Amino acid sequence: MSSVENPKLEKMEDTPAQGTQWCPQCGAALDDGEAARANAEPGTPTCEGCGAPLAPALVKAGSGDAAGFPPQGAALRKKRNPLALVVVAVVVAGMLYVGFHFARRAGSDQAETPMKNKVAPDFTLETLDGKKVRLSDLRGKAVLLNFWATWCGPCKIETPWLVELQNQYGSQGLQVVGVAMDDSGKEEIAKFAKEMGMNYPVLLGKEAVGDAYGGIPYLPESFFIGRDGKIVKKIMGIDSRSVIEDAVKETLNTQASASSAGSPSTSLRVGLPAVARASRTLPMTSVSQAQN
Amino acid sequence: MTSPRPILGTISLLLLVGAAAWAQSGKAPSVSFAPVALVTAPRAAQTMVALNFRVASGFHINSNTPKDEFLIPTALKMDLPTDIVLGKIEYPAGKDLAFPFMPDQKLNVYSGDFTINVAVHPLSSVIPGKYVMHGVLRYQACDNAQCFPPKTLPVSFDVKVVKGAGQHHANPAQSPHVHS
Repeated sequence: MSSVENPKLEKMEDTPAQGTQWCPQCGAALDDGEAARANAEPGTPTCEGCGAPLAPALVKAGSGDAAGFPPQGAALRKKRNPLALVVVAVVVAGMLYVGFHFARRAGSDQAETPMKNKVAPDFTLETLDGKKVRLSDLRGKAVLLNFWATWCGPCKIETPWLVELQNQYGSQGLQVVGVAMDDSGKEEIAKFAKEMGMNYPVLLGKEAVGDAYGGIPYLPESFFIGRDGKIVKKIMGIDSRSVIEDAVKETLNTQASASSAGSPSTSLRVGLPAVARASRTLPMTSVSQAQN
Repeated sequence: MTSPRPILGTISLLLLVGAAAWAQSGKAPSVSFAPVALVTAPRAAQTMVALNFRVASGFHINSNTPKDEFLIPTALKMDLPTDIVLGKIEYPAGKDLAFPFMPDQKLNVYSGDFTINVAVHPLSSVIPGKYVMHGVLRYQACDNAQCFPPKTLPVSFDVKVVKGAGQHHANPAQSPHVHS
């Protein structure tokens, strides 16, 4: 049966053992000898890490929690160097600034983004059946560019809304484009797309495309791209259907720029020569083909 | 002379607020692994080792048996030294929770602290001594509105292999064959 003995720390620098005692000054793990001496002879031993004296009570306060996670700093009290206090204050101020700055940005991502009013980064990606799709070929349409993944629960909720919106506003010029950021393979993506009845192009995402759109640190993320190719809005994470629909309406209200006014805007006719565009329409989604 | 306590208290408070703001701003989920005490494992016997993990507040990860086929299960993969066999991996039961993004469907998740038990079984051929077990925990985290790409967390612990009860020194000079 199992037996877990008290930790001997000679090989445990990287992974201190459960019940490890910690220096209250610098947080360094103490070896058994140091801890034992500290408990037996108060005040005499010092931490090898910072030289601080190891009083038994302080050593006790520095012990990790029952699960073996390291002690929290709040539990450690000791005389501190004024210079250290200043450094800590500066670090805290920096953290506060960065934290609040990003928190405010995160909270207002729906409303504004550094990419707002900028031309959406162009890309060419493949559909599930290997067709090339270039974003800039969609100029003149209102594009809802949705980054998603099969493993993303919120994406699964959102996808049926996008299907509905494509049905509802497609005739007015909306083109939903899904970019799958999975690494699970075409088959899995195609299975998901079929299951969800995705009626819009599903593209196989690439990291470089994600980077161009801010890194896509989490999913889902949607970019609403006006008929002129500029980003109107960005929604990070899932939001309500009504918020997404409002963003779609706002995007549909944009005007195509002069250069894109003459572009085809009836369907996703991309990656084809102009002559071919006039006579052919690429399938909106090739999920069924990819399945076969 | 001003007592340093109010200053320290203020700094602690600022630190907490700053840390909270940082955690919110970065929106980076984290799963941490608690250090494991040295495990003593007798040869030719199975020893259970508890591996403790902590999911950062505000996040959850799928359990080992999520309820949706597309969700990525949390899974531990160990790469053990030769002649130390990995036995059963026991995952805890997840919690069935509903989230704002999926109110009608409960997901089976881990949040907060959870423990995975693994069985290690040093074969009788293992030379007694200390061995390092390496592995990775693969997980995929979400919060209430978004999901983060799958990640792997390195996991390692030390095992001290000892002779099993009733085992005695083998004489290396002795032939393993039975002589009548």
